[in-house]
Amino acid sequence: MNAALGRANALLVPLGFFVTLCHAAPQAQGRWEGEVQLPGAPMKLIVDLAQDETSTWAGSAIVPGLGVKGAALGDIVVTDSGVAFALAGALHASADGPPRVKAHLIDADSMAGDFSQAGNTAALTLNRTGPAQVELAPRSTAVSHEFEGAWSGSFDFDGHPRQVTLTLINRAQQGASAEFVIVGKRTTQVPVDLVVQDKNFLKIESHQNGISFEGQWRAQAGEIQGSVQMGALEVPLVLRRSVATTDRKS
Amino acid sequence: MFRGDAAHSGQYASGAPRQFHRVKWKFPTGDRVVSSPVWHDKVLYFGGDDGNVYAVNAETGHQLWKRTTGGPVPATPAVAEGRVYVGSYDGKFYALDAQTGATLWKFDTGGERRFEAKGLHGIQPRNQTIADPFDVFLSSPVVAQGGVYFGSGDGNLYALDAATGELRWKFQTGDVVHASPAYADGALYFGSWDSYLYALDAATGHERWRFKSGEDPLIHNQVGFQSSPAVVNGVVYTGCRDSNLYAIDARTGKEKWRFSTGDSWVISSPAVSGGKVFFATSDSSLYLVVDADTGKLVLQQQGKAYVFSSPSVAGDVVLLGVLNGTLEARDLASGALLWEFQTDASRRNLGWVLTSERKFNSALLYHSSWREGPAIAADRQFSVGSIFSSPLVVAGVVYFGSTDGNLYAIE
Repeated sequence: MNAALGRANALLVPLGFFVTLCHAAPQAQGRWEGEVQLPGAPMKLIVDLAQDETSTWAGSAIVPGLGVKGAALGDIVVTDSGVAFALAGALHASADGPPRVKAHLIDADSMAGDFSQAGNTAALTLNRTGPAQVELAPRSTAVSHEFEGAWSGSFDFDGHPRQVTLTLINRAQQGASAEFVIVGKRTTQVPVDLVVQDKNFLKIESHQNGISFEGQWRAQAGEIQGSVQMGALEVPLVLRRSVATTDRKS
Repeated sequence: MFRGDAAHSGQYASGAPRQFHRVKWKFPTGDRVVSSPVWHDKVLYFGGDDGNVYAVNAETGHQLWKRTTGGPVPATPAVAEGRVYVGSYDGKFYALDAQTGATLWKFDTGGERRFEAKGLHGIQPRNQTIADPFDVFLSSPVVAQGGVYFGSGDGNLYALDAATGELRWKFQTGDVVHASPAYADGALYFGSWDSYLYALDAATGHERWRFKSGEDPLIHNQVGFQSSPAVVNGVVYTGCRDSNLYAIDARTGKEKWRFSTGDSWVISSPAVSGGKVFFATSDSSLYLVVDADTGKLVLQQQGKAYVFSSPSVAGDVVLLGVLNGTLEARDLASGALLWEFQTDASRRNLGWVLTSERKFNSALLYHSSWREGPAIAADRQFSVGSIFSSPLVVAGVVYFGSTDGNLYAIE
């Protein structure tokens, strides 16, 4: 199951997609590598910046040693003299928002500026090391009619039952969205940021909560057999059509 | 002894300053100081993770003697009858001459170890036994009835003859005992990582009762007693890793009340004073005061970082160590922050362990649950001069240890 979904995601993340699109690459375009001068412990940072065919800037970042690979950049602003962006998908301190970089071009191949995270700010230097290798964040796909609609099931976590409801709805441009609710001692509305169907496999992910569900459609049983992953923990979960949905359709 | 008296009330005779004036002195050691200092006859005694037991002049901060053991000493000594009692991670329990540091006797336990479990806290791989990086204390001894009593990583509570070190009895529990026993009315009260709180007859070691707390068979996160009980007016108060503060009838072992913190450990040992129980939480970083009779919340203050240290009540001030390297002084009645002292290591904030608001910067710390990642993260977390030590107050001076390796005297 994991291998199949891995292949599906790989198709959605075309490395190097941007590299050859722009004939007159702006100064900021490229792969930039450098260090953030955290006190006592410099932090390596690799940033890829590129424009697509509509001249929209996109980018991703790698922070070796901190588990960050291909984190999407957001709020990208590129001027003749420098760049500013946020590491939208990494090293997020809840109260302070995502880390932010503001840097000015020193010459054609080097930048200097500030890196801010969790209210702290440190000096940053970046040097161009090659062409951009922007890693696009995986996007949600539409789901087929077998998956669309409301599902429910339950799993056992640490000796306590958890009730689950999952509702999958196709959106015109953004692929499918999911409402994922887990009810135990309290009710948790899990914020799902990725829904991917690959043939008869389904994966939904909440990066914010560190929870995902992977399942396979079993046509004969009319159910999705899979598991919920919470960090290192994985528990089986079988989803069946919710009664309410059945009623609606009948 | 630990928490000021055999019953661990956490209440001190001296008042604490309501304003910070100065660092009177600081005494550097070779490693973290997790131990809490105790005072006897103008001398401070404490253990260091550098393996030494120290005696320091309380007025000047000058070393009087040190005695090297074979392992870290993150336990608080007890001083009685001219002897200093303390255990070490070398698995031995020591009685030292309080004047000279000479070894009077030592006793071999079954060996020390930290709490451990497969898949602990969700750390990968799940089938690997993981030692708990947050099991930071060793059991601190209590002295009563001519005996000295302490817990051990071998799961026993030991009773030794305080004068000779001879074994009187030992009581086997199901897991590590790093909480410190409290003594009251001929009984010993302590918790084990096996999830039970025990009451034993101090003279015989016979079990009077045991109280079952919560369990967490999946990731072993919400289980076990790391907090040490306080016994006041026939009630045993203790925190628990199952995220409750318990009040248990000392005679019967029946639960009087429990205060749930949600999902946050209560490692801090409660202080009991004036009909109120003072304690703090780990992840939710709350300073809490509840009614000793009913368990009803009296006041709550949101802190900045995890608390493992135990609050000390000194006059109209409550002192509390915080793992972000800050000592807090709070008003007894309102809980309002009166002053705080930040260690140098906390101010330097190497590697941005802390946010600008002195909360833990989890995004830069706990990014991996694989291999030694969580243990390294915990070590980094404690690099900012964390205060595990419980503050001691004598004659208006506050003494405490820090993971920056210093014992501080503040007035």
